[in-house]
Amino acid sequence: MIGRELTRLLVRALVAVVIVCQRPALSHDQGSLIEKGAPRRQMYLRIDDFSLTDHLGNAFSFRTLREKVVLAGFIYTTCPDVCPLITASMRLVQEGLRPDERKSVHLLSITTDPEIDTPEVLKSYAQRYKADFSNWSFLTGDLPSLSGVWKAFGVKVQRKARGLVSHTTLTALIDKQGVMRFAYYGTSPDSKMILRDIRGLLSAR
Amino acid sequence: MATQVLILILFFLVAGCASSERMERMYAQRCLGCHGVWGRGDGPLAASLPVSVPDFRDTIRSKSVIQIRKVITQGKGIMPAFEPALAKPEIQDMVRMVRVLSQKGRSLEWWEKFEPLVWAHCSVPWEFVLGYEEPANREKP
Repeated sequence: MIGRELTRLLVRALVAVVIVCQRPALSHDQGSLIEKGAPRRQMYLRIDDFSLTDHLGNAFSFRTLREKVVLAGFIYTTCPDVCPLITASMRLVQEGLRPDERKSVHLLSITTDPEIDTPEVLKSYAQRYKADFSNWSFLTGDLPSLSGVWKAFGVKVQRKARGLVSHTTLTALIDKQGVMRFAYYGTSPDSKMILRDIRGLLSAR
Repeated sequence: MATQVLILILFFLVAGCASSERMERMYAQRCLGCHGVWGRGDGPLAASLPVSVPDFRDTIRSKSVIQIRKVITQGKGIMPAFEPALAKPEIQDMVRMVRVLSQKGRSLEWWEKFEPLVWAHCSVPWEFVLGYEEPANREKP
């Protein structure tokens, strides 16, 4: 009996150690959570138009966001670790935008688990974060459509179990011409840094 | 017959809370990161979260089985809603694990086993009572 308890204790301790020590390069790398902020990388990657479905069940086309700066995060609603941090950071970015900036900036949360994340589930998730839907869309779609979007952004997705997905922890900033200019890899992107980059892109000609 | 029923009831009362492998695995996959090994709210992710993670010892004092189940199924704040992804027995595992972990690392008073809240968590065979089905096949579609 004591042996079994000891084994369970050891297994739990081992799981905790494994979670903390995962390689930072892997998706959902909880090890990097200990660091504040996420690695920021400058990019120049054109994102082609794509069509998905938003949290209201309406068709969504990326093309409609041209002339706006877009902040896109990849999440899924039953994610038990990093996605809440990414969405919370995006919420801080939305809060930090001035009223005049809100018209020129749009936020996208794109699911990595279409099996679970229907428009209704995404809407409920967004409401828990008190997301303002006026400039924030939560997107889902069928697997082929989403696979194309993940690939376009360089996001790798691997299903582990129902409602449990491993994916690249990317938050991307896209300029008014539809070019991805900044990539924030990691679990807790710094909202102040993102706001600074957004303002830089807004002021660019 | 009455004696058998009495023995059965006593068994449930005295058996107390125990975890199964399924519960342990579920907890490790979906909860441990924030709630910690012992459910104290000190998981490896807890310090990075914008909110404090509750200690299960406080949770069981302030919430009923139904309230705990509601938080697990529908989510609360940044905690995910697990209902869309998990089967009812898996949700039940999570509810019970809250009680199991709240009892770890401390000696239980004898009367705690007879407390209605503890009994509701640990001894009522909810899956049997409510006719829950086993989780569906989890193979990749």
